[in-house]
Amino acid sequence: MKKLLLVSLLVLAMMLFVGGVASANGGPHGDYTATTDACAGCHRAHTASSDNLLMADSTYDLCVSCHGGSATGANTNVDDGVFVSGRGGDEGTSTADGAALLGGGFVNYGGAAVSSTHDPTGVDNMAWGAGNERGVLAAISENLDCASCHDPHGSPNYRIIKEEINGVSVSVAQSDEGASKNYGVVSWSAQQSNVCGACHNPYQHATADTTTGTFTHAVDVTYGGSTTFTDGNGDTVSVDLASGYIVCQTCHFPHGTSASMTGYAAGAGPAGDSALLRKDNRGVCQACHQK
Amino acid sequence: MSLTTQSTPPPDLNSAEKRRRRLLLMVLAGLSALLLFVLFLFARYLNQPEPLPELLPVPVEVNYPPHYLLSIYDVDGPIGVAVSPEGDRIYVTEMRGERLIKIFDKEGVFLDSFSPPRTTQGERSPVYIATDSRGRVYVTDRLQHAIFVYDRDGNYLDTILSPTLTLSEYVAKHTKTAPTPGSFSYDIFEEEVDCKDAEGGDLTLPRPDYALWAPLGIRFDSHDRMLLTDVTEDAHSVRVVPSDVVMSPDWLDFDLSAMQFGASGQGDGQFLFPNSAVDDAQGRVIVTDGNNGRLSVWDDQGAFLFHFGSGSGDGALSLPRGEAIDGRDRLHVVDAVGQNIKVYDFSGPEPAFLFAFGSMGVRDAQFNYPNDIALDDSGRLYVTDRENNRIQVWSY
Repeated sequence: MKKLLLVSLLVLAMMLFVGGVASANGGPHGDYTATTDACAGCHRAHTASSDNLLMADSTYDLCVSCHGGSATGANTNVDDGVFVSGRGGDEGTSTADGAALLGGGFVNYGGAAVSSTHDPTGVDNMAWGAGNERGVLAAISENLDCASCHDPHGSPNYRIIKEEINGVSVSVAQSDEGASKNYGVVSWSAQQSNVCGACHNPYQHATADTTTGTFTHAVDVTYGGSTTFTDGNGDTVSVDLASGYIVCQTCHFPHGTSASMTGYAAGAGPAGDSALLRKDNRGVCQACHQK
Repeated sequence: MSLTTQSTPPPDLNSAEKRRRRLLLMVLAGLSALLLFVLFLFARYLNQPEPLPELLPVPVEVNYPPHYLLSIYDVDGPIGVAVSPEGDRIYVTEMRGERLIKIFDKEGVFLDSFSPPRTTQGERSPVYIATDSRGRVYVTDRLQHAIFVYDRDGNYLDTILSPTLTLSEYVAKHTKTAPTPGSFSYDIFEEEVDCKDAEGGDLTLPRPDYALWAPLGIRFDSHDRMLLTDVTEDAHSVRVVPSDVVMSPDWLDFDLSAMQFGASGQGDGQFLFPNSAVDDAQGRVIVTDGNNGRLSVWDDQGAFLFHFGSGSGDGALSLPRGEAIDGRDRLHVVDAVGQNIKVYDFSGPEPAFLFAFGSMGVRDAQFNYPNDIALDDSGRLYVTDRENNRIQVWSY
């Protein structure tokens, strides 16, 4: 009851007293004023159907009302992992139409069905390494949904990534924050790994750490070598660094991937588990470790 | 001992008894005749050629909400819905699964499904759907940024690639002959057009050049005009296309640019993701201004008039999406987050909220993110109930 009262008071305070909260995006994700009607887009003060005074039983269902495959209320189609602005060119937008979203997709990516995703539907609260031990699933503080990582009311960055995830303070920055917002080009800093580290903490180490008895690839370190490789089939694979740093997102999609994992040697690993990797098989390794 | 049988003589009927019996016979004959007459009348009533008497018309000023009839399942994340001009077919677009366009009969029996040519599930995103008076089916596609056009059975006819170009027009310009439906197709990912040359041989053309646009909402009014919303980034607008363009015998000189109005934003005359446009009997164009949570009303010349439906109260909208207007100028607006259908009276100079129906849930007559609505001439309403994976059918 106290929680409900607190949330009610917060919503009322926002409706009555807040005069222009700083936010990265306009529309329903910010630019709230004392006269805004935007609150009612998602909330009800007294007749909500869910907690946080939401008109939604599922946060994911609410988000895909705009950001789903039909993209009826947004250009960022997270189901297909694609930016849809308007066919014919880049006029009027800083993101090319058809650009792949850096987060990947929850249903498709690159026109193909996904092979692994974070489950954003609010039914799972387990994360690898959440118990500070690599390779072990442990519970996080809440069931995972879109609002676990994104703040629908806006945040200092235009991807509206929260400043606190799983109870951990997170600070991220994008080099193109401001007028230009390009959802299809890497504009992260090394801090981007903090988003993942909030739940997968033991994987975020800048050295080949053995704290938990296992080694892990270093992240948040600079890399000066080539990140593009042409393999024996003539296919080019490449990954993107974040301002020169290797971050979690250099190799992994936060949302979902359609990468195929047919390249495992027999018995060498969990065949078929694409583990949110950006490239087929072990392309993310080959991009830098060019063998 | 012998027995002797003696016959008893008949009683001597007196005249009074004879009269009584005659009277009884006459009454019996009369009743039989009456029964035959009633049977004759009954048979005549059953076979009379005249229609049954007209029911008393409902007074125009009476407004009451519709009632729930049934639900149609076998759809995956339904988004858009349309009804054929005859009212015998329901067309539905899917957001999830195979993302098909499905056809059902009026009672919800699945008939067929179809999709844009040369597309896989991940390459198409059918959203809003409409039928013109000829029964042709138009489907906007958010990934393809195009309007695909089919016949009433779902056979592909043509693609509106941009406001000034159809695929048949593009092919005709190269082959110098009007192509027949089914002889051409376009793969936007491969960026090539397959068609037939003048001799009937296979021909591959490069991708066409087209103007920037992002068609979303589509409706046809009673005058065969196409009302289209365009959500091109930073240039949200509405187009009203004259019937002579749409109903032209061919689309080899296509141009949707006759009337276009609106801009992106939150102010007067601006939209944030307009999802649908319809017109009322006064010629006003009413637009569901989705992310601004309101209706935007324009005159028949494309001049902004006023906003309506924002704020708080029973008639206030949260996330208006599809809409449909009936013959009494009652506007039905799907409120996707409000989880109901709100109905407004647009018959007068000032619109007025009438009633809403539906609530959030998974039971009959409850919605879980409804998105679009279509009406037929018999008073039926079809609503896509996205997260309940069904189309709800209501009736007045």
